[in-house]
Amino acid sequence: MLFDIISIPKDDAVAFTFFTGYMAMFAASVFFFFERDSVDKKWRLSLLVSGLITGIAAVHYFYMRDYYMATGENPTALRYIDWTLTVPLMCVEFYLLTKAAGAKKSLLWKLIIASAWMLIAGYIGEAFSDGSTGHSVKWGVLSTIGYIYILYTAWFGEVAKLAEKSESAVVKKGVRTLAWFVLVGWAIYPIGYMCMEGGWLNTALGWEPSAVDLWYNIADAINKIGFGLVVYNIAVTESK
Amino acid sequence: MNTFTFIFLICLYALFFIYQALGGVEIESQILYSSILILAFGIPHGAIDHILYFKKRDTSPAKFYTIYLGLILLFVVLWMYQPMLSFIFFLVISAFHFGESQFADLSIRRSTYSLLLYIVWGLTLLLNLIYYNVSELNDLTAFFKDTEAFQSFYNHNFITYGFVSLNGIILVMLAYLLYSKHFSWNRLLSEVFLLALIHLTFYLFPFIIGFTLYFVVLHSIRVMNYEYKFFKKEKSNFRLIDFIKLLMPYTLLSVFFTVVILLLSHKGIIPISVPLLSLVIISVITLPHAIVMHIFYHAK
Repeated sequence: MLFDIISIPKDDAVAFTFFTGYMAMFAASVFFFFERDSVDKKWRLSLLVSGLITGIAAVHYFYMRDYYMATGENPTALRYIDWTLTVPLMCVEFYLLTKAAGAKKSLLWKLIIASAWMLIAGYIGEAFSDGSTGHSVKWGVLSTIGYIYILYTAWFGEVAKLAEKSESAVVKKGVRTLAWFVLVGWAIYPIGYMCMEGGWLNTALGWEPSAVDLWYNIADAINKIGFGLVVYNIAVTESK
Repeated sequence: MNTFTFIFLICLYALFFIYQALGGVEIESQILYSSILILAFGIPHGAIDHILYFKKRDTSPAKFYTIYLGLILLFVVLWMYQPMLSFIFFLVISAFHFGESQFADLSIRRSTYSLLLYIVWGLTLLLNLIYYNVSELNDLTAFFKDTEAFQSFYNHNFITYGFVSLNGIILVMLAYLLYSKHFSWNRLLSEVFLLALIHLTFYLFPFIIGFTLYFVVLHSIRVMNYEYKFFKKEKSNFRLIDFIKLLMPYTLLSVFFTVVILLLSHKGIIPISVPLLSLVIISVITLPHAIVMHIFYHAK
């Protein structure tokens, strides 16, 4: 046989979401790449970035799926490699959307630095955990500072102000929708983080560390594909 | 999401981590820190009722103070003879006041629908707080003899029914505001998101902490911001420091008298437990404050 037969245990929601996540990301990439030609030239870069976000995630999901099926463990390193590439690209989307309203490169760099800060602190908190609550809290707090900065920028700071300055109602609405993704969608990740050993949901409510990936997979599907679809919607509406 | 929801969210994150790091907060510490926050923000937000009233209505000071203090006195008398009725009345007045401050910016103001919205939103808030903390309330009220009677209120089945139905009703009422074009989609999402955050807060944290967080950030600071903007609109060079100076003398006076009365209770000179006396003080000053704020929000 060309491929080994892989069976998914019926009660393994994590494995299920790894498989569906992989296919959904892959399908979303194909969609964004093919749809590039149906929008105005100025929006093609945004759609390319959307396709890259889901494409990079699809490749990582392919590897994470195999890693999980083979070991039953959280593929933490692969997960963070994926995020290190895709989360800054989401920041690029904010920059591209508000560029017409005068966004400067400095905004892009500030968002990228904040996202890198958020991810590095999260990675140390998760990958080098000794199972203690203190370690989880310390790096969780540091990571949250980066998140709060991005959240503030999207809702009240530079991004929000630039969107308000934009003459396009679609861009205004689109940026606000993306800000909602940051507020609600990105807030799912800390739920996963707090499920790890020593995390608050693990120690206080008894949530299993195995749920970490379930939450991350759900969050990824919502944020990466959803983020791209919002950008696609703006591009299509503005191209009419 | 508005600025207050953002501040609330950050406080929620901070509390998450504090709880995670400490594994909980002792009841004595909860009471101490909550009292400080309520005195620091709750008292000032109602400290300039008289100034706000005179900005909106042309009434003689004597008449205003007579009615204002008369209402306080009447409510004290009601507490003496009908504590349970007074407690329910306080909940209803508070519910209305909280709801009104939440939607003070809406243009549907004087309609019956808005009055209903205020009261349903406020009652939903208070019932959520009670629903998630019944066992803790049992412990708190069982600690003093004169607060035991309130157990019959929140142990009643209607708390559960009220919790489910009011949460459903408020969602329908908010959706209607979208349908009637009083709300944008963004505002609707913001309101639903805020309700979800309130649920999360009351579910995760103890009664005192949950209420303090709501009362300070989403109510008191929000109302003070509304008041500050009012003065700023009236006088463009009005600064934050001017506003603080305006609040300060009345706040200090109110805090002083509140602390003295509570100390008298603590020493046994006033034969009422500190928690019940705190409840009575808060309720009797809430009544005239809610009326003044209603006039302030709606009078032209």
